[in-house]
Amino acid sequence: MSAVLRLLLHRLGISLIVLIGVSMLIFSIARIIPGDPARIALGPNATVEQITKLRGEMNLDAPLPVQYGFFLADISRGDLGTSLYTNRPVTQDIAQFLPATLELVFLAGAIMVAVGLPLGILAARYRGRWPDHFVRVLALLTVSAPGFVWAVILMLLFAFYLPLFPIAGRLSDIYEIERTTGFLTIDTLLAGNFAAFKDAVHHLILPAVALSLSGIGQAARLTRANMVETYDKPYIEMAQAYGFHPSRIARSYAFKPSLIPSLTIIGLDFAVMLGNAFLVEAVFAWPGLSRYGVAVILRKDLNAIMGTVLVIAVTFLIVNIIVDLLIAFLNPRIRYSTRGTS
Amino acid sequence: MSILDIKNLNLAFKTLTGQVDVLHGIDLNIAAGEKVALVGESGSGKSVTARVVLGLLQETRSARINGSVVFDGQDINAMPARKRAALRGTKMSMIFQDPTSSLNPMFTVGNQFTEVLRRRDHKLSKMASHDRATKLLEEVAIPDPARVLGSYAFQLSGGMNQRVMIAMALANRPKLLLADEPGTALDVSVQAQTVSLMRDLVEENGTSVLFISHNLGVVREFADRVYVIYRGRIVEDGPTAALFANPLHAYTRALMSAVPRITGAGLPEVPEVSDDFLAARVSHTEAS
Repeated sequence: MSAVLRLLLHRLGISLIVLIGVSMLIFSIARIIPGDPARIALGPNATVEQITKLRGEMNLDAPLPVQYGFFLADISRGDLGTSLYTNRPVTQDIAQFLPATLELVFLAGAIMVAVGLPLGILAARYRGRWPDHFVRVLALLTVSAPGFVWAVILMLLFAFYLPLFPIAGRLSDIYEIERTTGFLTIDTLLAGNFAAFKDAVHHLILPAVALSLSGIGQAARLTRANMVETYDKPYIEMAQAYGFHPSRIARSYAFKPSLIPSLTIIGLDFAVMLGNAFLVEAVFAWPGLSRYGVAVILRKDLNAIMGTVLVIAVTFLIVNIIVDLLIAFLNPRIRYSTRGTS
Repeated sequence: MSILDIKNLNLAFKTLTGQVDVLHGIDLNIAAGEKVALVGESGSGKSVTARVVLGLLQETRSARINGSVVFDGQDINAMPARKRAALRGTKMSMIFQDPTSSLNPMFTVGNQFTEVLRRRDHKLSKMASHDRATKLLEEVAIPDPARVLGSYAFQLSGGMNQRVMIAMALANRPKLLLADEPGTALDVSVQAQTVSLMRDLVEENGTSVLFISHNLGVVREFADRVYVIYRGRIVEDGPTAALFANPLHAYTRALMSAVPRITGAGLPEVPEVSDDFLAARVSHTEAS
């Protein structure tokens, strides 16, 4: 398994470089766009002295590279500064809002994989017949409408006209759950409160489905396309020549080689979800990081913007490393190669 | 008794622009234990013939198949798809052109062997399958079966993979082996080795073979009887020795003169199409 270890180190190194690049980029952009953060923070009635004082505290008058140096020094101590929007340490804000978004995105990602891949397998297995047509139309429908449109449609259908699900929020008011991880599904279980757990899951379903739909279409189309290509390979004809069952050929002989190219894209879809989550969070009044991120951008809350972007970048990089490791684990060619890169 | 009896087999494919006729009334017969070669240029219809016998083309919706293909007393064209599938991998099996790309890159040789062996014995345990596969790999002169079973196709040489394919194809002791240009993707010396290995094994087991090839040298060494196919028609057939000694059909002669001589004298010139090639079928009787 040393090839996989080397791959892991390689990816970690690249991720660090990406993180530094992202932080420099966002750091500069946030400061170049017009608007004085100190003035926005203090409001229209602030005096010039107050604003000058705050600018000094925030080091806003120092040259950009010097400001970036201060930022790096702070971050190495785990300090992301104070948010001008909430007046709390940014780390505290992130700790509050990130779990809500991750909970949503993880479930949406799981739904995407659990529904999208089987649909793709089905379409490829019955290529040119009605299951294929059905899946392709479905995929086109889900890919062509953005997540927030689905959020509104699902909310109207299944929370308003047919009140099967709660209309918004993460948990009904009647439950008081002690906060440990911030993931309500975990916290409710830790508290041993199964009624609250069911309630939290109930609240999660609609927004997660709305968020996952375009990913489902994407995953299904991709899986189908890759499998159709695999079906032309000699080893599939060989499997057919040995009379293996068509479903078994689809699920195992054709699907496994096709999964590897699909996985990279599915990892990217996951990142796209983190971004799309904002609109879905807005529709369902979901107190997540994406909503927080937009609020702080509008207020030019520099520390909070940096913190949010970095946390999302780290999440994205972690997901990508996991996907890369999964690919290495699944693909014997990488697993047994000596160079260890794909 | 014949193991395979093809009578007046016609095959056409429906395409967007109309129907494309591929086989025009093929008649072909293989006796039990007999090794028969089907020889012709690419596109002549030899590979599709094998796929009809195997029952694969019957599952293709654009294919129109007529005629009878009687295998072991039953007409393959007339039976339901499920019964055809039941014959594949058990009573008949196939060896393909390129052994390395015919093995699935995601599964070890051992895994694929287990699947093949389970075609006949559904409840075969992993251990029993490993033992059986080891014996079968020893039969094809693989010196280190345990290592090969634990390997993936891309870790083995082409010749090694070809031996694996032969062992798999004969694993369930089929009555008929279809070999579609076996080893064409390998280099000549490895191809010769594996073909002679295959010949020894089928003779030992009494397996009938339909050997598809364009390589006349290999056919001459391998087959008892030869059919020459041109544009979906059998143009000449007969015992190997008689046919090679006295080729009667214009196409057969052209095919034989097309083989470059090792002694030199340049590449032979072969006409693309000639009216003589479409002349009526010639059959050699015994020792003509």
